[in-house]
Amino acid sequence: MQGKTGYFVGKLIELVVTLFLVSLLVFIAFSIIPGDTARVMLGPDATEAQVNLLRQQLGLDKPLVVRYFTWLFGILTFNPGTSYAYNMSVGELIAQRLPVTLGMSVFAMLMVIAISYPLAVLSARKPGRLGDQICSVIGHVLFAIPPYVASLLMILLASSMFRLITVGTYVKPSDDFLAYVVCLLLPSFAVALPKIAMSFKFLRSSIIEQRASDYVRTSKSHGLSDLKILIRHVLPNSNVSSITIISIILSDILGGSLIVEQVFNLPGLGRLLLAAISRRDFPLLSGIVFYLAFITVLLYFLSDIAAAITDPRIRLK
Amino acid sequence: MKSNIIKSAIAALAFGLMFTSFAGCTRKPGNVDSNAVVGITQEPGIFDPHTVVAAGDREIIFNVYEGLYKYDSKGNLNPCLATDVAISDDASVYTFTIREGVKFHDGSDFDAADVVYSLKRAAGLLEGQDGVALVGELDSIKDVKATDDGKVEVTLEAGNTELLSYFTTGIIPENYDNCQTAPVGTGPFKFESYNPGQSVILVKNDNYWQKGLPYLDKVTFKVCADMDAGLTELATGSIDIFPYLTTDRANQLDKNKYNILSNGSNMVQIFALNNAVEPLNDLKVRQAINYAISRKDVISVTMDGAGVELTTAMSPAMGSYYDTSLDGTFNQDIEKAKALLAEAGYENGFNITCTVPSSYLIHVNTAVELASELKAVGINMEIKQVDWATWLDTVYTGRQYETTVIALTSDYAPYDVLERYQSASSGNFINYKNDKVDELMAKIPTISDTKQKTELYHQVLKLLTDDACSVYLQDPATITAVSTRLEGYNVYPMYVQDMSQVKPVTK
Repeated sequence: MQGKTGYFVGKLIELVVTLFLVSLLVFIAFSIIPGDTARVMLGPDATEAQVNLLRQQLGLDKPLVVRYFTWLFGILTFNPGTSYAYNMSVGELIAQRLPVTLGMSVFAMLMVIAISYPLAVLSARKPGRLGDQICSVIGHVLFAIPPYVASLLMILLASSMFRLITVGTYVKPSDDFLAYVVCLLLPSFAVALPKIAMSFKFLRSSIIEQRASDYVRTSKSHGLSDLKILIRHVLPNSNVSSITIISIILSDILGGSLIVEQVFNLPGLGRLLLAAISRRDFPLLSGIVFYLAFITVLLYFLSDIAAAITDPRIRLK
Repeated sequence: MKSNIIKSAIAALAFGLMFTSFAGCTRKPGNVDSNAVVGITQEPGIFDPHTVVAAGDREIIFNVYEGLYKYDSKGNLNPCLATDVAISDDASVYTFTIREGVKFHDGSDFDAADVVYSLKRAAGLLEGQDGVALVGELDSIKDVKATDDGKVEVTLEAGNTELLSYFTTGIIPENYDNCQTAPVGTGPFKFESYNPGQSVILVKNDNYWQKGLPYLDKVTFKVCADMDAGLTELATGSIDIFPYLTTDRANQLDKNKYNILSNGSNMVQIFALNNAVEPLNDLKVRQAINYAISRKDVISVTMDGAGVELTTAMSPAMGSYYDTSLDGTFNQDIEKAKALLAEAGYENGFNITCTVPSSYLIHVNTAVELASELKAVGINMEIKQVDWATWLDTVYTGRQYETTVIALTSDYAPYDVLERYQSASSGNFINYKNDKVDELMAKIPTISDTKQKTELYHQVLKLLTDDACSVYLQDPATITAVSTRLEGYNVYPMYVQDMSQVKPVTK
């Protein structure tokens, strides 16, 4: 019991330290790169007096160190501050964009699991057969397609050839949940494709490996059916390694979504992130990076726990 | 650079396929849709008519706010909320007659008090503003007051015959100070909402003082990640109007679905030379660079030929203010360029850096073309791409650069075009200094005779060209794709999206 508490406390400290380092990195990067938020907002034709006025209004006349600590203090009190460029609370801005990025990530993950697991199981049943070989070849090809290329191809096929979707349309889940799911399906699939291939490859070889092991032969000699052996023994054993893979896939998917939403012109976190960088919006950028780092660290944390639950041999340490 | 080219190639290929293979109808036929969606690639930000400066913001709120005067699509300055102006002989007092029967979007009546408040606010004359003008050019206003007969009298610190074009600044209701979040003007469209990163929505002003206008019920300015994302949306029908296209992308569009409109933009694309750094501080070197360049090739590479060659700081679109005698001053002459370089002591050429904003494809492409042309005279130009914020900071305000490529935009006013060449101007990022130009620019606002004024402008242009202060390249065309279901869209020679004349085609 004490070991578990210690584990959680350790993880929590890790989380805090990681997030602090991330914010420090953003801060250092910001103090190095040139660019003036007020000037970017007003453009080249603004006079110096106009720029100074805006700088004062936004509080940009204070040194960056002061602004960083104000921001850090804000985070500690769960207040990520106000975006310079949008004049809106950072929390609100992120919350607005979250359904796009998070939705795409969740759908993509579901697709990865729903497609790669059955395929891997089928393929691994008769390795080397025609079906397995076809799956493997397709897997190799898909693995090599970057999500933004897949996105372009899908836009080409779905919206131009079949008029199935209108690119760039985004429906809020609160307005029409079904339409929300539909508009995110294609982009999610674009993100998921290479990951389906990755998960398939990994799971397939893991199952084949497990099936060759002694306990499978023993179960067979006890008269268990192939299906029972697969579900009761082989899959759980393969799962341990695939949970680790899946947590890696999840953070990859999050990164992929940020790019794919650009191609599909969806208002997600990726575009907000780019806007924050190009407009030198320090509170917004740190807010988003902080948030993404938080999710990533959390995912690894959850996958550690999931692995420990499925495999008692792994101790939470 | 290389990966950029490959990326563009892939995108171009995909779009090419998309546009050529399938042309269907995305909207249901039969019902006339009186909404329009305009694609924009710059995130809007400022909606206050007095603090707004960025072109991307101005072109949207052009539909919401109106000034005493207003530009039309030919570049003419017409009375708008004023019906007339009387300018005193020494040009120090402007007296405006105010239009009657105009209502603001919030339903209140427009009168002289609103004009006084708005102009004072713009000029920084309200209490608590400490005299900091929100509209820099109106800084010279000393006092604004309403006269007994309902006119508005603007008194300037010194006579200025060139100020009328700045009275296009938006008029807002008296004591209204919420323009950033809830814009209220008198324009053809009312501000409905702004969703950061997504769109700005305007709706029809039913009480617009120009009867019969506008035609559309709703206009959405939709933010697109970049030009290619916008083109995808255009192809799939979620955008109707998309401005600032490049020629190669426009050529890929289906001519049955889109009208491609092209117009001179009154922009001046400049290969800016920092006059304060070696060896560019040498007149002969600057002349040599001017002779080494083929403007025609630059235009053909970057705009597929859709641009007007420039040899001076103004576009021929400015009419009589433009000095035609300067045409062809710097026709490409490699031998002459080499001779000038030798005279300046650089017979073996030199190395130089060109810092360009990476977000503007046209400027990056121009820099690449210029670098290859300069090689012929022994000048080795390295291209450094920086993002827009960095460019503004280091090149434009910091002036820490050797050369750059950029387009200078201005209102349709000659003084606005040339203001930056005064040695003390904050826009003088090329560090140009010529006492004669300073003198002329100070004199122009005191002249009221148009002919004499035009003559002085010609003298300024001649001096800029004689000094080869930079390399003026082209006035690139503004290319806009408009869905064939809409008509009445006018391309302005400045940053304006005028939606008031746009209407659905009725069949």
